[in-house]
Amino acid sequence: MKGIAFVAACVLAGGCGPKAVITAGPTRALPPHREIVLDSGPKAPRRMVPPEVFLRAYLTWFGGLSPGATLLRAREGDLFDQWTDYLAALGLPDHHFDVPRAMQSNTVMLAAIGRLGEALCIRSVELELRANTPIASRVIFAFEATPQPTRAQFAAGFDVLHRTFLGYPAGLGPPQRLERFFELHQKVVANHAAGQRLTPDEMAWAAVCTALVQHPETGLY
Amino acid sequence: MSRRLALLLVCLVLGRAAEAQRPLADYRYFRALSIDLNGRPPTRAELADLERPDFDIAAWIDNHLSGRGYVERVTRIYTDLLRLELPDSSISFAPRSILLRWTSILGPDGRPIDLYFRNGQRRAQPAIDGQVCFTAAEIGIQVPSDGASIGTPKAVTRKLLEARTVVVRPWWLYADYARPLPRDRASAAWVQRFGYELVWSMFTEPDGRTPMTGVRVCREEAQTAETGRVFATGYVAKKADPLLPGRLTRLPSDTPFAVANAGSSVSCSLAVAFESSHECGCGPGLERCLPSGPNGFVSPWHAPLGKDATFFAAARPAILWLRAWWSEEATKFIEQIFAGDQDVRLLLTSPATRVNGPLAQFYRFFANTTCCGAGTELGYTRPVPLFDPAAVPTTLAPFEVSTWATVENRGEHAAGILTMPIFLLKYGSQRQRAHAIYKAFMCREFVAETVKLEPSTEPDLTKRTGCATCHRRLEPMAAYFARVVESGWTYLPPTTFPLSSPRCTARDRAQMSPACATFYDPDFTDERSTMLRGAYGAPAHADAGPRGFAAEVSSSPDFAPCVVRNVAQSFLGRPLTSDDERWRQELSRAFVTGGYRIRALVQAIVTSRQYREANDVMTEAR
Repeated sequence: MKGIAFVAACVLAGGCGPKAVITAGPTRALPPHREIVLDSGPKAPRRMVPPEVFLRAYLTWFGGLSPGATLLRAREGDLFDQWTDYLAALGLPDHHFDVPRAMQSNTVMLAAIGRLGEALCIRSVELELRANTPIASRVIFAFEATPQPTRAQFAAGFDVLHRTFLGYPAGLGPPQRLERFFELHQKVVANHAAGQRLTPDEMAWAAVCTALVQHPETGLY
Repeated sequence: MSRRLALLLVCLVLGRAAEAQRPLADYRYFRALSIDLNGRPPTRAELADLERPDFDIAAWIDNHLSGRGYVERVTRIYTDLLRLELPDSSISFAPRSILLRWTSILGPDGRPIDLYFRNGQRRAQPAIDGQVCFTAAEIGIQVPSDGASIGTPKAVTRKLLEARTVVVRPWWLYADYARPLPRDRASAAWVQRFGYELVWSMFTEPDGRTPMTGVRVCREEAQTAETGRVFATGYVAKKADPLLPGRLTRLPSDTPFAVANAGSSVSCSLAVAFESSHECGCGPGLERCLPSGPNGFVSPWHAPLGKDATFFAAARPAILWLRAWWSEEATKFIEQIFAGDQDVRLLLTSPATRVNGPLAQFYRFFANTTCCGAGTELGYTRPVPLFDPAAVPTTLAPFEVSTWATVENRGEHAAGILTMPIFLLKYGSQRQRAHAIYKAFMCREFVAETVKLEPSTEPDLTKRTGCATCHRRLEPMAAYFARVVESGWTYLPPTTFPLSSPRCTARDRAQMSPACATFYDPDFTDERSTMLRGAYGAPAHADAGPRGFAAEVSSSPDFAPCVVRNVAQSFLGRPLTSDDERWRQELSRAFVTGGYRIRALVQAIVTSRQYREANDVMTEAR
């Protein structure tokens, strides 16, 4: 009871005090601020590159050959099966049977792209790097491929491939991309046994090329 | 020297600076444009162009809004919506009057000969009328209308062989087949020359080695006259009639047409001529017929980049080879409208089309042979075509696959894709046809109410409980197709098929003649009137025909917003939402005031903020 009386006395004493006054201080500019534009536009996942576009690009990467000629060139060494094995997997519609265009990727599609990428890259290594085709005539590996390249030498070649498949300079990609691909190249060189169809360096470039063909950014836009 | 070196250095530095990189967003935008307007990702050289300071992206877009990549891109929107392809097994288009069967007989030297003939071919001799041109006594075998021959073949005499058959150099083997002695024989080079390919190992004589240089055909089939004389035998087949000795079928009866027109002249391109004249054959080089074998006509099957860049082609019978071009007609027609930046409404309303050699042959000689079936009993013997054969260019030979010509006016009933065989077969029923267009060009769908369906005897679906929700709208639209037979392209003219036919009225609908019941709906028939099938939803629409439907759809307020929606969704790769509504309305207004041209619409889309920022690019891949 004594405690309550004491609290009440304090409250009364405070409430009866003089008015609190806030005096104006010196004016000061607001700190600089950053404007953020709110993008309210509808968004969706990135579009899939239409399979027709992928196929046309693929034929272009194979040197502008017809589908039949591409098949003949790619098939050697069991790198390629038949076009019919890949067309539906790539997501093409089949209007004969009302099969619609695939609007989302799936594992079969990715496997098909991987297989096509391997065929393209290994054959291109053979036809361009191994055959020492003049750089101006190369479609894929249009750079001087030095054996066991330094990081700088690798970066120059990687930029060519990056532009070919992803459509922009490698320098504009995520910071670690170059390092990761350089590491891939080095690992393949280190682990690929000599005396096979491709040298370790050739196989390493084929692996980098295949990884870029399969890269999500190649199949999206 | 040092000044020159300095100048060179300056140039190098400036040159390097001139090719400075752009922001990542610019590259991504350019790649998207290249994919959408050029049909492929940009090459390194094109990226180098982009990096030049004077690169003009607006000019680049302008230049690519008429190229092949752009045309393919926008065409694909509508081919995906309409899906105008048919599986092999879907439609059996094989009229007897155009199909040359073959069978093997023994020649005078005892070696086999391939003999071509038509099932049902009229011949003057009763013993072989309607059958192969030899009796069983003459060749040792009987040839049924389908299946293998019966009996043991025996050598035909030279005299009989020459009397009954003739060797013809046919259209599928000779470019100059119409000449008296054709010499320009097909070869592997024809792939480049005409886009026409045969599997040569299949076009051999029966020994399997000697190249086929001509085909032996029954003499009646080899006739080339344009017209023939109708003949009537006075014979009417009855079920109880015994077969004549040596025959597998009864003698063909006189048709009502033959009885009514005996002695008069008839065009050999009509089905009634095949049935009632023995003077009508397959024409010069057999151009009015298709061989049932060999199955060696190479047809494109998977051709996502166009028929001239086929990924998979298969050897097939001529009849299926021909059908492959039906869908290509629609594709070429759509492409032409987009390539020429014509009014998009022409997709539905245009009387024009595009044909190549096989299609020209089809429309000149084959299309009208499906007419008129049971219609002949109602007096319909000379078809009123959806595609007037006289409008077909006569300069296109059947094997000229890669040559396409524009036909400006197919005829008074033609209406864009609506009257093309591929559309009429893909969407066989009147309701299917209406629904396909309603969905693709008005972006509307039929959604049923959640009502309980109850048993009903109400034949009018616009009134029947539960059905009316959709059919109130669907039946009047389907009525526009009432004058085009289902799963076919035969047109039913009002003169022969009035909306209500006095000759088909019946107190008891079970008493309707089969011919009447084929074309008139028993559910809407009584002793005073009857109703053309499919027309009851809106009888006036039946007479307006597909052209009327095209006019209704293309003048609908839903048409332009639907085109905008389809094109925008395709380019953005996502459905338009209510947030896009204002933009869609702006595009629609511009589309209409611009004369319904797709090019300006696509330009507005690809330069819009929505296109540039359509997709979430925040998640970076490694």
